[in-house]
Amino acid sequence: MAASSPQRMRAYLVVIFLVVAVSFGAVIATDKKPILGLDLQGGISVVLAPVGDVRSESLDVAVEIIRSRVDSLGVAEPEISRQGDNIVVDLPGVKDRDKAIRLVGRTAELRFRPVLASVPPLSSTPTTTVAGSSPPLDESVIAAAVASCDSDQISAALTAGEIPTTKTSNDKRDNCVVLPSREQKFSRLLLGPAALTGKSVDSAKSQFSQGQGYAVTVKFNDAGATKFDALAAESYPKSPPQNEVAIVLDGKIQSAPAFQTDSFSGDVQITGDFSPSEASDLATIINYGALPVQLKRLTVQNVSPTLGQDQLDAGIAAGIIGLLLVSLYMLAFYRLLGLVVIAGISLSFVFIYALVAYLGSSIGLTLTLAGVTGLIVSVGVTVDSYVVYFERLKDEVRSGRTIRSAVDVGFTRSFKTVVAADLVSLIGAAVLYFLAVGSVRGFAFFLGLSTVLDLVVAYFFMHPAVSLMARHPRLVAMRKVGIASGLDVVEVKS
Amino acid sequence: MTTVAAPTRRRGLFATLGDIYHERTNFDFIGRSRIWLGFSSLMVAISIGALLLVGLNLGIDFEGGTQWEFSVASGNPSSTQVREALKDTPARNARILTLSNGGVRVQSSELKTADRELVTQALSNYSKVDASAISIVSVGPTWGEQVSQKALIALLFFFILISVYLTFRFEWKMALASIIAVVHDIFITIGVYALTGFEVTPATVVAILTILGFSLYDTVVVFDKIKENQSTLGREKGDSYSSMVNRSMNQVLMRSLNTSFIALLPVISLLVVGSGILGAVTLRDFSLALFVGLLVGAYSSIFVATPILVILKEREPRFRALRDRSGPSVSAVAVESVVLDEENVMPAATPNPNDQIVTPRARQSRRGKRR
Repeated sequence: MAASSPQRMRAYLVVIFLVVAVSFGAVIATDKKPILGLDLQGGISVVLAPVGDVRSESLDVAVEIIRSRVDSLGVAEPEISRQGDNIVVDLPGVKDRDKAIRLVGRTAELRFRPVLASVPPLSSTPTTTVAGSSPPLDESVIAAAVASCDSDQISAALTAGEIPTTKTSNDKRDNCVVLPSREQKFSRLLLGPAALTGKSVDSAKSQFSQGQGYAVTVKFNDAGATKFDALAAESYPKSPPQNEVAIVLDGKIQSAPAFQTDSFSGDVQITGDFSPSEASDLATIINYGALPVQLKRLTVQNVSPTLGQDQLDAGIAAGIIGLLLVSLYMLAFYRLLGLVVIAGISLSFVFIYALVAYLGSSIGLTLTLAGVTGLIVSVGVTVDSYVVYFERLKDEVRSGRTIRSAVDVGFTRSFKTVVAADLVSLIGAAVLYFLAVGSVRGFAFFLGLSTVLDLVVAYFFMHPAVSLMARHPRLVAMRKVGIASGLDVVEVKS
Repeated sequence: MTTVAAPTRRRGLFATLGDIYHERTNFDFIGRSRIWLGFSSLMVAISIGALLLVGLNLGIDFEGGTQWEFSVASGNPSSTQVREALKDTPARNARILTLSNGGVRVQSSELKTADRELVTQALSNYSKVDASAISIVSVGPTWGEQVSQKALIALLFFFILISVYLTFRFEWKMALASIIAVVHDIFITIGVYALTGFEVTPATVVAILTILGFSLYDTVVVFDKIKENQSTLGREKGDSYSSMVNRSMNQVLMRSLNTSFIALLPVISLLVVGSGILGAVTLRDFSLALFVGLLVGAYSSIFVATPILVILKEREPRFRALRDRSGPSVSAVAVESVVLDEENVMPAATPNPNDQIVTPRARQSRRGKRR
């Protein structure tokens, strides 16, 4: 069977239509939509870079810690990823953006604080002022009283009303603080000034020990061991909860074990009803404190939702106008063959939509403005392939071939040119994708994607469609609009 | 007189366009390559000069700083009003730009979070829009360094890979000629940015990298044709490498014009829509560089890459012999003088009989030769 027999051509067409229809149908049926980047839907993007040389693992840990911080914000689809040494935090649709920026960029310090008292949870209903009674103390006054660590002031504050949770800005090493537990295992605790920080930790790991279940073993360095023993000596004799030490990170009490002895000499084992993952989480957190990654904000980008919508609208409008212009030009220039171009572009776009929607839900690919522009620009690349083919057909026909034989010979030859030229685009896209940062990558991805698709559509759609059309003498010879007229042939040989 | 002259002139233009469409042209691209190369060298020199003397207007992504963007709820904003609104904030010396559709862009040095909030609040009061509707970008000074450094590394790798690929697919001389043409495009695009003072943003960098691909696409199409025609070279008396290249270029002229024009259409649409809508600043930044780059890229694949290829190839003994045997043709003379004496002005007496279209009969003979 000849390489371009009508049967094969028809089979190609059926295959590509089926593939596109099935993938589009699947995406529609499962209700997948492309995920818009935050420059299109509004939100915050922060790029952080470590200060100095850091190990790759500690960056991974930092990503995990930031992820857990961001989760506390309740953002719908946060995306925290590493790009080289940078950490990129994308928070689409965030409301309280200043809080988000502070939260993400803050350098974490692990602190060990003695527990002073347990504090009742905040009542959910706001306190109502009863007429005649003394007004409750101002929150800031209470907060200042707590921060001062003065026991008289604190007890006065405790009786005066509710003690608010210490704000991040007041959560300083030497202040007394009221902080919540990470997993609501217990209510809030009043904590003393930090006795030691993550710098005192040598290492921490989770272990299974017989009879005690999962435990976290912490090894302190020399200075840390002395400080920890001093804390233990002071706290151990006291009654609960004052015999506990709170391990604090990010304004949350990660764990508050009670001292079982007053001297450790640097080796501490924390036990409890840990599940394996809880133990390893705690070990990671303590280790993270031991390896603080200092992060610097490189950029903060904050796009308002209205601006995002404007950008999206403008991108779509520009795309549609561009496509219309190209379509009209192609129709005017190549007549009936112009229809093949329009059908081919439509096919590519339906397929790209399906791919982008699918990749969005599977690997979290987002469509950014740079991506949209990449797609619009790729229209040019795609149509170039048709032009190269059609001009080649003109050449072949002028050199004496019939249109019917030219469509196949011309395709074989022009496809080589198209592959050569598309490979250049692909190499460019790949280099950009792997080496560049930020929006450049999004652009490169979509340029590469549409270039690959260009080759597929040229092979499985463009050539078969033209080849089959060329077999119909009426389509070829139609006055003014037929294939012959599009190929600048006055006299049709058959 | 006038009634006779006018139609004649018009017919001339249409006839030329028609000849391009019917591939009946025989423009002497190579014979005049000295003019093109001289023109291009001048353009590149001006661009480098502008880059060194004027410099680029780097956006905050490269310089570091904080930028606000918003549109006022009603009426037309003026920079005086905005400055008045900002006079008690840390951004009192900010750069203020009013954009189309009531849009305002304010740029200041990089501010701390608290200061940033003050400015945002002031702008929100002024514009009567909610603070959350104001877009803010804050960039540290090292970010731009990182972006440009990575872009340069990407560029370097791109050139290496493309050279390897083109050498493998064609030959090293074609690879070299293509790369020179692309470098030429980049310089001129950057030069346009330096001269016009348009702001350079990351989108500009993306666009410049895109130009590489487009410019090479065109060049590859031309070189592919040259490579194909090279096999038939020398079968006919008087044929030389440069005349073969000239023939190839006339053959792909319609293709080159069409692909360039089609690539430009979506970019023009981006440019127009991007300038009309405030939110689409990125689109505009992007399409501007693309527009310039595509034009230059289309030009360079015909007027830079190919003449350089001819110069390189006609140094090979085989093609030099062909050229000498074909007699001192116009193109050979011109090419020779480019090689030997680049500073010389082209002699006024150089005949140029071939720079217009030939009659259809000449095309007939070419057709017969090719098949």
